[in-house]
Amino acid sequence: MRIVVGIKWVPNTQAVRFDPKTGTLIREGVPSIVNPHDYPAIELALRLRDKYGGEVIAVTMAPPSARQGLEHVLGMGVDKGVLLTDRAFAGADTLATSYVIAKAIEKIDKEIGHVDVAIFGHETIDSSTAHIGAQVASWLGWPYVYYARDAELVEDGKLKVRRQTERAIEEYVLNLPAVVATAIKALEPRPIRLLHKLRAKIEQPIIVWTNNELGLDKRCIGLKGSPTVVANITFMPEVPRKKIVYKPKDPKDAARWLLRQLFKDEAVAPFLKKALWG
Amino acid sequence: MPVKPDCEKLCPEWPCDDPFEFKGVWVVAEADENELNEASLQMLTPAKKIASKLGEKIVGILVGYNVKKWADELIKHGADEVIVVDDERLKTYYPRVYGQVIVDLAKKYKPSVILVSATMRGREMAPYIANTLRTGITADCTDFDVDEKTGDVLMIRPPFAAIMLAYIKTPFRKPQMGTARPNVFPVPPRDESRSGPVIEEKAEIIPPGMELAYYKPVKREEVLIEKAEIIVSVGKGIGGPDGVKLAEKLASLLGGVVAGSRKAVDAGWIPPERQVGQTGKSVKPVLYIAIGISGAAQHMIGVREAGRIVAINIDPDAPIFNQADYGIIGDYREIVPALIEELERLKKEGPKAIEELLKEEEEAAAS
Repeated sequence: MRIVVGIKWVPNTQAVRFDPKTGTLIREGVPSIVNPHDYPAIELALRLRDKYGGEVIAVTMAPPSARQGLEHVLGMGVDKGVLLTDRAFAGADTLATSYVIAKAIEKIDKEIGHVDVAIFGHETIDSSTAHIGAQVASWLGWPYVYYARDAELVEDGKLKVRRQTERAIEEYVLNLPAVVATAIKALEPRPIRLLHKLRAKIEQPIIVWTNNELGLDKRCIGLKGSPTVVANITFMPEVPRKKIVYKPKDPKDAARWLLRQLFKDEAVAPFLKKALWG
Repeated sequence: MPVKPDCEKLCPEWPCDDPFEFKGVWVVAEADENELNEASLQMLTPAKKIASKLGEKIVGILVGYNVKKWADELIKHGADEVIVVDDERLKTYYPRVYGQVIVDLAKKYKPSVILVSATMRGREMAPYIANTLRTGITADCTDFDVDEKTGDVLMIRPPFAAIMLAYIKTPFRKPQMGTARPNVFPVPPRDESRSGPVIEEKAEIIPPGMELAYYKPVKREEVLIEKAEIIVSVGKGIGGPDGVKLAEKLASLLGGVVAGSRKAVDAGWIPPERQVGQTGKSVKPVLYIAIGISGAAQHMIGVREAGRIVAINIDPDAPIFNQADYGIIGDYREIVPALIEELERLKKEGPKAIEELLKEEEEAAAS
């Protein structure tokens, strides 16, 4: 099997802090990481390869610094990396991003070898749209399924994918090629191994494709290829809260103070009474 | 007024449509034989805001098998008309098949706006619809508006780090698509007097390229956090799964449910479907009791709609105290058991115990 896995090089949003004095985001020194929700996708791709043979190719559209992210996943055992990087790709929304990724998958299929599955993480931590999997499936005309927890090959070379929704546990059998998006934390990712890192250092299996190699119409990529436009950014209005903070003498005092506040508060009191005495 | 795009400047993969031809605000409903998802009805609330500003109709879209019966429900809650594709071949949901039916309807009817509730199914299907129509889509909007000058719909969503709001528009393509998480908007009140046309459409059903091989419904044993009136939520500060037990005890006394922050979910103390916040769910309980939650913006975005927030935290500098109604500085391991004890006592003594409780404060104030 040849499996493409899409990854994103994202700012670590957990490290972003808010400056209450200036009302701005403190982004300086915020390191970039491989999007955490991509790890189940990487792990699923590696498990399929380990079981059925073939190779895993990680693809990312990003500035050149994302090479670090590709090196990181090569350390997990991914076979090759493809870095799609070009100033012309900048400012892309999800439609323009998925277009470049879909075209790169077509190019991999043509030049490196037949692609059976493209796997994506559920969403990214920096924009959380969960769009890319479905959009790539739309460009390629492949069947797709989200929220995957596991997958295996079944008869006729089809892929059985197990997933869970709010309603049910489901198994779908997909004709290949297909797109699969994993659920958040569906699979525990394997650790980095020195052996893989050394191999990556020696073999340098990272391919860089700019738009010279992809040859895409400039009107379909980056800002120009993006139907959505950010018209404005404002601060979110603060929700008015009472902000009464109490430092209790002892736990009992804390409990009684809180209950007094809640029973005096008409927004809450009727619900508490209902809960306690029906 | 919308501007007619210069077709030479558009990506040749996109159709070059006349924006003036596009009319109507669509709400794609999620339904099967047994149920019309309430989250779909909620989308009629922003649809009404947009439709009245644009002076256009609200159209409900029903796709599936034995789903025509829900058309009236959509109309009673605010749709002006409903388009139904009811076909036995749509008995099983496949994202690409359902998506393609809606794409074909949109190509025929040319709506200006398509709204989809960001349920699991909606999140899976909506980007496929948008992409196949070669149009833009904005996920998880918290509000919608209309630019008065251009008539562009503004899709309002919190981007990066959840502190800011981005106003996103789709000026050169129609339809304009957006999704919103369940419970961000209320269900519009039912109006028995409403009626409207129900249009039945036949659609071409594409081969799915996949097959549902196994299906086992999971029982919903507990109240979903989206619907709970009282939520006791835990964060990293509880330090371990024992804290969850205390939270559960408190929640059950109050008739509420337990939820958690992303960190509590990451630690494995709380299942992912009970995560509140930017990467989890938005909730709107009457009372939200946050235990050991620091108050990161990514979490607080999920409780914006909460009636009252109580924070219990040992760190006096925790940002949550600035975003809560009632804050207690202290160790939850002592405070929550005391709270449980007091509540149990109140429960036993009956409503008259409240008077005594409140009198205690007057006495304290007097002395």
